[in-house]
Amino acid sequence: MTMKTIHMAAALLLGAMAAGCANVERSRDLGNPNVAPEVTAVQVCSACHGVTGISVSPNFPRLAGQQADYIEQQLKNFRSHQRSDPEGFEYMWGISRKLTDEQIKGLAGYFAKQTSTPNTYLHVVANAEQLSEGKKIFETGVAAKETPPCQACHGPKGEGMAAFPRLADQHQDYMAKQLLVFRDTNGRPGTPMEQISHSLTPEQIYSVTAYLQSLPR
Amino acid sequence: MDKDNHCVVGARKGSWLRLMAGWLSLLALLAVLLPIEAQAIPIYARQTGQNCLACHAGGQFPELTPYGRIFKLTGYTMGNRVEVPLAMMAVVSATSVASKTPGTGDTNADFPQNGLMHFTTASLFAGGKITDNIGMFGQWTYNAYAQQDADGHWAGHSGSDQFDLRYADRFIDDQRDLIVGASLNNNPGVTDVWNTFDSAFASTPSYVPVSNPGGNGGPFAGVPAAPIMLQLGPVAAGVSAYAFWNQTVYAELGFYQTANRALSFLSQGVPDSDMPKLKGNASPYWRLALNHDWGPHSAMVGLFGFDTEIYANSPATSGPTTHYRDVGVDAQYQYILDPHVFSAQFSYIRENQSYSEELWNPTNPNYTGNYVNGSNTLAFLRMKGTYVYRAKYGVSLAYAAVNGSADALAYNNSPDGSGNPVPFGNANSTPNTRLWIPEVFWNPIQNVRVGLQYYKFTQYNGSSGNYDGNGRNASDNNTAFLYVWGAY
Repeated sequence: MTMKTIHMAAALLLGAMAAGCANVERSRDLGNPNVAPEVTAVQVCSACHGVTGISVSPNFPRLAGQQADYIEQQLKNFRSHQRSDPEGFEYMWGISRKLTDEQIKGLAGYFAKQTSTPNTYLHVVANAEQLSEGKKIFETGVAAKETPPCQACHGPKGEGMAAFPRLADQHQDYMAKQLLVFRDTNGRPGTPMEQISHSLTPEQIYSVTAYLQSLPR
Repeated sequence: MDKDNHCVVGARKGSWLRLMAGWLSLLALLAVLLPIEAQAIPIYARQTGQNCLACHAGGQFPELTPYGRIFKLTGYTMGNRVEVPLAMMAVVSATSVASKTPGTGDTNADFPQNGLMHFTTASLFAGGKITDNIGMFGQWTYNAYAQQDADGHWAGHSGSDQFDLRYADRFIDDQRDLIVGASLNNNPGVTDVWNTFDSAFASTPSYVPVSNPGGNGGPFAGVPAAPIMLQLGPVAAGVSAYAFWNQTVYAELGFYQTANRALSFLSQGVPDSDMPKLKGNASPYWRLALNHDWGPHSAMVGLFGFDTEIYANSPATSGPTTHYRDVGVDAQYQYILDPHVFSAQFSYIRENQSYSEELWNPTNPNYTGNYVNGSNTLAFLRMKGTYVYRAKYGVSLAYAAVNGSADALAYNNSPDGSGNPVPFGNANSTPNTRLWIPEVFWNPIQNVRVGLQYYKFTQYNGSSGNYDGNGRNASDNNTAFLYVWGAY
C-alpha cells in the first residue's frame, strides 16, 4: 500500500462523511423514523436478543414468539421510564427513547412472529425435585400463600396471551430477576405480578423459573 | 493511555500524611456526590442512552462486553447522533516506590512525584456516530507532568492518543451475519475488541508515567522492554480492513506508516524529532480470531502479527534499520451475568529483531556499536484475571514476564549525564523481568473509579537481587499506585 492509497482511503472516508450518506436499509440509527423496524431488529436489537429473538446470554430475555402486545407495552414503558428495573434502565431506556409508536409496533410484530426453540442452557442446573416443585406452582399455584397458578394467565403451555408474556423457553435467570423486581421493588408498577410474587420464597422462584425455562411442549 | 514519558528530574517532596489527607478529602467529596446518579456520561453512553456497563464489562474501562464488541465493530454507529460529540476524562494519582536508593543520589530525579498526590492526565474525546456507516473514536491526552523546562519546573504536554475512524456495514439476516469495515487509526491494536492489547492489561488508568520504573511509560507499565507493536503509540498511521463472520471468525489486515506529513494529525503533539520512522508505507499488521459466545460466557483465541523496519537514526529516514517481526497468540474468557463479571485475558508476543550490519558488526566501516548480536529475540507474556461485583467492587491480578536474548550493548548499565549509576541499570545484559500486579477498585458511580494497584517485581533486568551491580534489588522497584479516575 502506498502513501497515495492511504490518502485515497482517507479521502473516501471523508467524502462519505461529507455526503452524510444515510443507509436506511442497514441503519443502526435509533433516532430516524424512516428506519424500518425489521432493520432495527436485526441491526440493533439482535446484538443482545439475537436476530430471531433467541438471545444467547441469559442477561437478555428471549423475544422469539413473545406476545406482540406485551413487547409493545414494555417498549413504551421503557420509553416513558415507567419500567425502571436495572436491566430496563441500563439498556432499554436509551434504545427506546426515540422510537416512534409505529416502529415499536413493528418491532413487537417482528419478534412475535419468530419461532421459539427449547432453551437448553440452564445457568444452574435444577434437580428433579425442584422441577417438580416448579411444575406444581405453575399448574396449581401456592395455595397457602394465595398465589394463583402461572398458567391461569400465561397459558397452559406458558405461551402467554396479549399483555401476559410468554414464559416458555425464557431464560431462568432473567425470569428470576424479574420476579425479584416485582416482589421487592416498584420497578415494574401496574401489574398483578407485584401482588402475586410478594410471598414467593427464593427457592420457589428458582423452582418455577427453572421449570418454565424447560417447560415441556 | 498516554505514551509520553519525558521524566527527567523531580522537584517536590511530600509526605504520606499529606497525601492521605488529600485522598480522604476526595473520598468525602465522592461520598457527598454518591446519592446523585450521574446524568451526563461520555459520548457513546449519550449516543445510545445506555449505561456504561452495557459495553464495558462490569463497568470497567476499556474492557468490552460482547455487545460492546458489536458496537465498536459496527463503527460506533448504533444509537442517535449526539449534538456535542465530546467527553472528558481525568486522573488524579500517587505512587510510592519501595526504595529510592541506590540510585543517582538524587531521589527526586530518579522517582519524580513519588508520594505526591497529583493531577496526572486528562483526555478529551471526540467521536461517535457520524453517518449510518461511519463513526469515530478520537482521544487527545494532556499529561500534566510530561516534561521539565530548563528551570526544573514541570510542564504539561498534550497530544494525540488513540484514534479510530471507521467505516462499517453489517449484512445480517437469520442465515448469516457479516460485519465488514475499514479503520483509519494510529497504531496496531487500536482496533482491538477483545481487550488483549495494551490498555486492558494496564487497567484504567495505566500506571503513572512519571514514577515509572524503567522509564517506559507504556505499554505495560513497569517492564523495561516490550515488543514494537505495543510501543508505537500515536506515531503510526494505518488503514486496516476487517470482517467478522457469524460472530465466530474475525480477520483483519492493516498497513502502517509513520504518521507524518498529511497524516500528522494522527500524531499531533509528538515532535518529528521524537518520532521513530517506519521504513516504507506498508508495515503489515494482521489478526485472526475465533470467538464463541454461549450462555453468559464468551471466549476468544487468536493469532496476530506485525512486521516493520524502523530507521535506527530516526528521525532520519536513511541509514541502518532494525527489522521487527512480531507474532502473538492471545485469548480471552468472559463471564457476564449480573451481578457478577469475571474475565481473563492472555497474550504472548514473540519478537525477532534483526539489525543492519553497521549496528552490530565491528568489522563494518560504519559500525555504530548498538548491539552485540546481529539479531535478538524478545518475548512478552501477559495474563490478567478480574472479578467485579455489581459493577462497583472489583479485584484483579495481572502478571507480566519479559524474556529477551542477552546483549550487552542493547541492555547495559549506562550512567546518567554526571556519571552516576541510574536506578534502573542493567548488569545482566538481559531485559528479563517478572511482575505481579494485584489491584482493588471501587466505582462509587459509573463514571468514577478509585483504585489501588501494587506492582510487585520478582525479577528485574535479569535478576531478583543486585540487578544493576550497585546493590539495587528487583523488589526495590515495588510500587503502590493509588488513583481516582473520572469521566464526564
